[in-house]
Amino acid sequence: MGRPLDESDLIGRAKRGDTHAYEELVYAHQGIAFRMAYVIAGNAADAEDSAQDGFVKAWRALGRFREGAPFRPWLLQIVANEARNRRRSAGRRAHVTLRAATEQLSGDAAPSPEASLLSAELRDALLAAVNELPEDQRTVIALRFFVGLSEHEVAEALGVPEGTVKSRSARALERLRESYD
Amino acid sequence: MTELERALVALGRELDIPVEPDLGLRVRERIERRSRHRHALVLALALVVAFGIALAVPPARSAILRFFHIGAVTIERVDTLPAARDRPLVAGFGPALSLPEAEKSSGVPLVFKGTRARRFYAQPGLIATVLQYRGASVLLAELQGDQMGLTKKLAAPDTRVEPAPIGSFGIWLEGGKHVLIWEAGSGEIRQLERRLAGNVLIWTEGDRTYRLEGGLNMGQMLDLGRHITR
Repeated sequence: MGRPLDESDLIGRAKRGDTHAYEELVYAHQGIAFRMAYVIAGNAADAEDSAQDGFVKAWRALGRFREGAPFRPWLLQIVANEARNRRRSAGRRAHVTLRAATEQLSGDAAPSPEASLLSAELRDALLAAVNELPEDQRTVIALRFFVGLSEHEVAEALGVPEGTVKSRSARALERLRESYD
Repeated sequence: MTELERALVALGRELDIPVEPDLGLRVRERIERRSRHRHALVLALALVVAFGIALAVPPARSAILRFFHIGAVTIERVDTLPAARDRPLVAGFGPALSLPEAEKSSGVPLVFKGTRARRFYAQPGLIATVLQYRGASVLLAELQGDQMGLTKKLAAPDTRVEPAPIGSFGIWLEGGKHVLIWEAGSGEIRQLERRLAGNVLIWTEGDRTYRLEGGLNMGQMLDLGRHITR
């Protein structure tokens, strides 16, 4: 049995033209790339196209990627650019209305500590409050907490300074706190 | 992380966000397809550049391009031209035929459909006609396949040979004397005609080689050539 593939190994091999190594990198990051593109582009079809085009462009730009640097923010920035361009060229404002899933996840896994915090009533109230946020704040909240990006990654994805992300995030959390408390 | 932030993380897990598609294979196929196209393009460009350099540098020209092929045409550079004389463009092609007869006899359907010519000529693997273009008579010959040795061209050192931007690959021959020798193909090496030739444009497209010969300059000949294969 071969050893688990280390990301830096895969990147090195991909830079040398190994398309199978790059395929592994795509599989490793496609989930977060797609969810981020979905939040930015506003629909699943554009998110899928953005993610796919972004991965292809990242492959072409791989020679400029500095080895040892974090790969995910670099990759997500390219995918996010694609999603923003797609939204812009479609001439529409991103307005992904977030909805709670109608069915709870099934399975034997115990609910996470975070999940056990939320009652259905609280979940609906919080979701409604998020959807009422101004778009720039809602996007930051969605990328930060729903997609799971760091503040640095959100800044890279949106093409804004990290300070802007912090301030938007702080204002959004303040408004949400009013609904939550 | 505050309680509110933990609640937002929990909310994120319950949102109706579509499941991500499987992108790995699709991305890999796209980059491999693109890579293949790019390699083919780079190879073609490298050939054109190398060809241009070889033609531009006299020592290289004489050393490298003594002998080369383009489609069904062989071009050989010699120091001494064989004996040849001026002859009609269609000399050696046999009797004039109708288009259906020529296509049947040659086994080559004529690609050029815009001709008003009524006289066509055929040899195995070759169909020809004479066009009138800008006041000049121009011989159009279309050769099927890329078997080398069907026709042979001998060019004196002072004949200008350069790449021409047409089809998959094209060359232009102008100036000086050069001798054209048509040879029958299909395993039958038989000389049809030997004569002095005028300005010539040769190019390949698909599995066909086109040859235009007449008293036109390169730009005019390229216009006509592109019209034929448009």
